[in-house]
Amino acid sequence: MRKGLIAASLGLLAAAVIVTSALARSESAATPAQVAACTNVSLGFLGPLTGPAAFLGQEQISWLRFGAQKFNRQNATRFKVAAGDTQLKAPVARTVARRFVADQKIMAVIGGSESQAVRVSGNLFERANLVSVSGSATAVDLTKGRPFTTFYRVVPHDGIQGPQIVTFVAGNLKAKNVVVIDSQDDYSVPLASGVSRGLRARNVNVDRESVSADDTDFSSIVANVGNDVDVVVFATQVAPAANTLSQQLREQGKKAIVFGTDGAYSPSQFKPRTGYVSVFAPDIHFDPKARALVREYNRYSKNKSFGAFGPATYMAGVVAMTAITKACADGSATRPEVTTQVRRTNIASIFGGTVRFSRVGDPLPTRFVIYKIANGKYSPAG
Amino acid sequence: MDWDKLVQLLVSGLTLGSVYALVALGFSMVYGILKLLNLAHGDVLMVGAFIGWGVIGWLGGAQDPKVAVWILIVLMLMAAMAGCGFLGVAIERFAYRPLRRAPRIAPLISALGVSFFLQNSVLLLFGSDFRSYETFDLVEPEVGISWGPLTVWIIRLVVIGSAFAMMAGLWLLVTRTKLGKAMRATAFDREAAAMMGIDVDKVIVKTFFIGSALAGAAGVLVGLVFGQINHFMGFNYGLKGFTAAVVGGIGSIPGAMFGGLFIGISEALSVGYIEDFTRGRLGSAFSDLVVFLILIVFMIVRPQGIFGKPEVKKV
Repeated sequence: MRKGLIAASLGLLAAAVIVTSALARSESAATPAQVAACTNVSLGFLGPLTGPAAFLGQEQISWLRFGAQKFNRQNATRFKVAAGDTQLKAPVARTVARRFVADQKIMAVIGGSESQAVRVSGNLFERANLVSVSGSATAVDLTKGRPFTTFYRVVPHDGIQGPQIVTFVAGNLKAKNVVVIDSQDDYSVPLASGVSRGLRARNVNVDRESVSADDTDFSSIVANVGNDVDVVVFATQVAPAANTLSQQLREQGKKAIVFGTDGAYSPSQFKPRTGYVSVFAPDIHFDPKARALVREYNRYSKNKSFGAFGPATYMAGVVAMTAITKACADGSATRPEVTTQVRRTNIASIFGGTVRFSRVGDPLPTRFVIYKIANGKYSPAG
Repeated sequence: MDWDKLVQLLVSGLTLGSVYALVALGFSMVYGILKLLNLAHGDVLMVGAFIGWGVIGWLGGAQDPKVAVWILIVLMLMAAMAGCGFLGVAIERFAYRPLRRAPRIAPLISALGVSFFLQNSVLLLFGSDFRSYETFDLVEPEVGISWGPLTVWIIRLVVIGSAFAMMAGLWLLVTRTKLGKAMRATAFDREAAAMMGIDVDKVIVKTFFIGSALAGAAGVLVGLVFGQINHFMGFNYGLKGFTAAVVGGIGSIPGAMFGGLFIGISEALSVGYIEDFTRGRLGSAFSDLVVFLILIVFMIVRPQGIFGKPEVKKV
């Protein structure tokens, strides 16, 4: 009986060993899939393709697809772009992120476009060793203390934007009374609070207001803006909202001008009579060296209008594609190898200079650019 | 007391309230007759806004319209009302009529489906970009009625005026015409109305046409006064319109009018004064809190709404 039991136990043990080794083989069989991935690689795009910030996501994905086509032509690669729509909603972004993690063809994610999307997807990507490179997420805490080790961005953070806005509003515009409005989301509330604190520290009178990201009417908020207010700083991710705000200020006869944060940068949608907007990267329309690229994109997109979001995402795409190509040099690539290559990035930027990353994943060195808007026309202001 | 601010807030509230009232009327009319919450009603407003935008583009755009501005606005309203009226009839015919004898949850789910269908259809047709009426190119913001330091933009007056005219027209239709009498009879007792020779189906179709036409007009008014339209704008207006209908007394036409104005003005005043009243503890971010607090209070204290009558059941 005992011998029988021992024999049965040994049998079970042997079976367990066989099953385990079979499973191990099937796991190692996944490796050739990753080797094959070098000829069948996708970049996941994580951004708002519908919803209130769709203008931003559509511009970004268009530039990313253009970038992939150009890169493929120049490097004989076959990168594809897989679209993931966050709808500007954090829970949706997390669902899309899970899909990207599960898709073995995706070797890098471009995005999240918005800070809240990075916040909810960062740890998922980190666990899967999947690198993400954002062309527009600017919240400070995304890199401060390195909460997500596989997150990188090619744009500066709001810790730079806030003080620059303060310096410009208090110094250049010499504003004495300012209203700062946030749009009740993860991006705008810390930025608006930082700007308010900075302005108060420079003895500027600040009144804080708040609107919902879905609001289309700001006339009641505008009624709160006094006739002595010089500037309304609007932290928003919805450029048309900034436009409506500036129109309603005019409508109520208020002299205040709107200063939009980077989410409002859109020459086609934010067109006040007078205003300012800051943005994380120079608008390449104003750069003579980028004329050929602009022409090429216009041909590709059939003259679709664009601002600063698209080119920055193009740059994020080039960073990722260059890293994957380097990781694939020996014929195979893994996600950790791609992450390592992104960390070592040192390539020419379309904005001039080079793209390199700091220890925490921020670009080195960089600053926001401020544009003046006069009768809907943009021109660099600082 | 800053009177300029108060008047400005009242004008803002009246503008918003007029739009909410038009939406609430559609909710109330359909609920009155079918006891159905037409959750797709806000999206009909959105379709109306896009029809109006299409008319502007078709007639040369806001910067260089081929016709006088007032003719353009009338044409936009007419096109949106006709288009949305027929859309409402189609929704009733294909999404609600087959479910008329089904449990009440079925048409509610169907209404949600119609809402998503409309949103996604517009997304497919026009893309996700915000579209602008460019109203400031049509009429400069300085053009309006001035009163001391205050200027009320003429477009706001047009919006408020046309909404009131439509509400008055609807009131006359319901109280003074044969169709109105048939609508009231159908709302009171559908079976008895049918036995009295009223073609109930026809009355329901006409009710959907009128309610949806009003939502279409509201869409154009929103586009005119706030400038921007998009494929998901219907949700917010639908929600506020529904709140207005409930506060006024769902099923009651004067209730819907009153409820809309009440919610609009409450929203504007809460944005303007919430900070003062709470000594800075709450800011303008919490204005919706006031609106929905009003809804909750009414649901508890007077569930039938201001103009509604409590339902009496014979036992």
